[in-house]
Amino acid sequence: MKPSMEFRTKKILFITAGIILLGILTICSFFVGKYPLTLSGLLSGDALQWRVFLTLRASRAIIGAIGGFVLGVTGFVYQTVFRNPLASPDIIGVSSGASAGAAFGILFLTGTMAITASAFAGAICCVILVLILSSLSSSKDGRSIVLAGIAVHSLSQTVLVCLKLTADPEKQLASIEYWIMGSLNGISLYSIGGNILLCLICLAALFLLYRQIILLSLDDQEGALLGVNVSRIRLVVLLTATLATSSVISMTGLISFLSLLAPHGARLLLKNNRLSTMILSGILGGCLLTLGDLLARSIASTELPVSIFTSLLGAPFLISLCLRRERAR
Amino acid sequence: MNLLIVNNLSAGYAGKDIIKDISFSIEAGKVTGVLGPNGCGKTTLLKATANLLAHRGSCFIEGQMLETLSARTLSGLCGYIPQRSSISIDLTLLDVVLMGFNPDLKLLQQPSRQMKEEALHALSMVGLAHRKDENFQHLSEGQKQLVLLARTFAGKRRLLLLDEPESALDFRLRYQAMELLRSYISKNQASALVTLHDSSLALNYCDTLLVLSNSRLSGIIEPDRTPISRMERLLSEVYGTVSISVLMNRSKKKQLIMMKEDIS
Repeated sequence: MKPSMEFRTKKILFITAGIILLGILTICSFFVGKYPLTLSGLLSGDALQWRVFLTLRASRAIIGAIGGFVLGVTGFVYQTVFRNPLASPDIIGVSSGASAGAAFGILFLTGTMAITASAFAGAICCVILVLILSSLSSSKDGRSIVLAGIAVHSLSQTVLVCLKLTADPEKQLASIEYWIMGSLNGISLYSIGGNILLCLICLAALFLLYRQIILLSLDDQEGALLGVNVSRIRLVVLLTATLATSSVISMTGLISFLSLLAPHGARLLLKNNRLSTMILSGILGGCLLTLGDLLARSIASTELPVSIFTSLLGAPFLISLCLRRERAR
Repeated sequence: MNLLIVNNLSAGYAGKDIIKDISFSIEAGKVTGVLGPNGCGKTTLLKATANLLAHRGSCFIEGQMLETLSARTLSGLCGYIPQRSSISIDLTLLDVVLMGFNPDLKLLQQPSRQMKEEALHALSMVGLAHRKDENFQHLSEGQKQLVLLARTFAGKRRLLLLDEPESALDFRLRYQAMELLRSYISKNQASALVTLHDSSLALNYCDTLLVLSNSRLSGIIEPDRTPISRMERLLSEVYGTVSISVLMNRSKKKQLIMMKEDIS
């Protein structure tokens, strides 16, 4: 009654390798950066080193691992629920809502926490608007959500452009652009507690709902006759995934490509959609974001946007996996 | 005892009725076939019966009004096999069959070991147990149909609604699938409503046949009892002039064969 040995070995191999890689990258993330930290320094209780560790490095490492994990898992969820391999948080307006919210925060509020909260609120508003619009449509299936998502996406892009027009080009406009490009820099350990907690709760819920997520990949009629209350469960799953995504990107800004890529990587490696594939999506997401962030802070003398590196690392990875699969056929 | 009673069912799309005023009932332990030309509303009838489509009229399953049941209760009683499954992601055959247990599971509950045994047994009934870990997407259309059949068997539903289960199957598998269906129905005292295109399967494996033409139920055939002349008349309305002969195969089993008469 077990899956074939071959699959079990492969699953254990990939997940263990992934966890080890994520662990190594996270440890690197603690110690790589402009200010040199050493293990001996931390152990001997060097006050300055500890301050750098707590205010700069720890939060970065945690967000890299957990944020990447969340983006990977929610990418898997969106792709499955929308039955669309190209689905990502953009599709239901999360990213554009967060950008508009962040721009609003940068213009009218002060402090990073306020900007984070504003971005979060923007993302959630957009998603709720999408879900309301789609529930008004007569065909209540996944497609109406996608259509509403595209409409709300362009609406919030317009809001964003208007906000940019009113921004002071010297400072505010630059901050908005930087926010949109995404970075794990300058997030303090003390301000992320709530977001991380929300992420963990949502992740736990999504893993528990795994069986329902797979059932949502059927069309609505087939799902209904397998006893799935399709519209209600889809709403719960999408809201949970969106809460998690919003709480990540409201801290980091937009991180391109990651949600799209990590689940494809996991599926190409494991060749199915088991719970282990969902976990591996998360692990790959965490590795990719942490690695991207390590490069973003160490390649040039200034901080670079992390999206450059997630795309730069991700695209060749995906292409090589596709090529490998073609050969294997 | 009637397991399913359908009263004055009318349904369709965009305000236009595809089926009008159809009434019939199915006893437990019986297989009922639905015959009719393309587009006459066979699928619409199944979907309306399963409450997947807005309709007028009402259906009763084991005495309960079907329209009032929750999706969950309904799916616990009634299994539906679509013409094509909408499964679009990579899943193993065992995972697909395990979906059939969803009505018996709580929201967050995982299938038990016993359910996995039963799912494997259902797969072995359709001869695919040895491929349980293979990807559903790599199967042929006919094999996919067999897996869906296994999924419905595993769930032990009382009423099975099957939409052209034979359409993608080869000659041998058609008969095998109908044998499986019959033995499931008699073993579990369940009932099946099956739309079919293959007339010899319909005439030899169904206890009752509903003949649809022009959106209405034009007649009911009981292959064991209805006189041949009446069957010919009803089926000629649907398919053009046909004749029905009773033949014996070499093992002396009687078979009804329908033949086309107006071929030049």
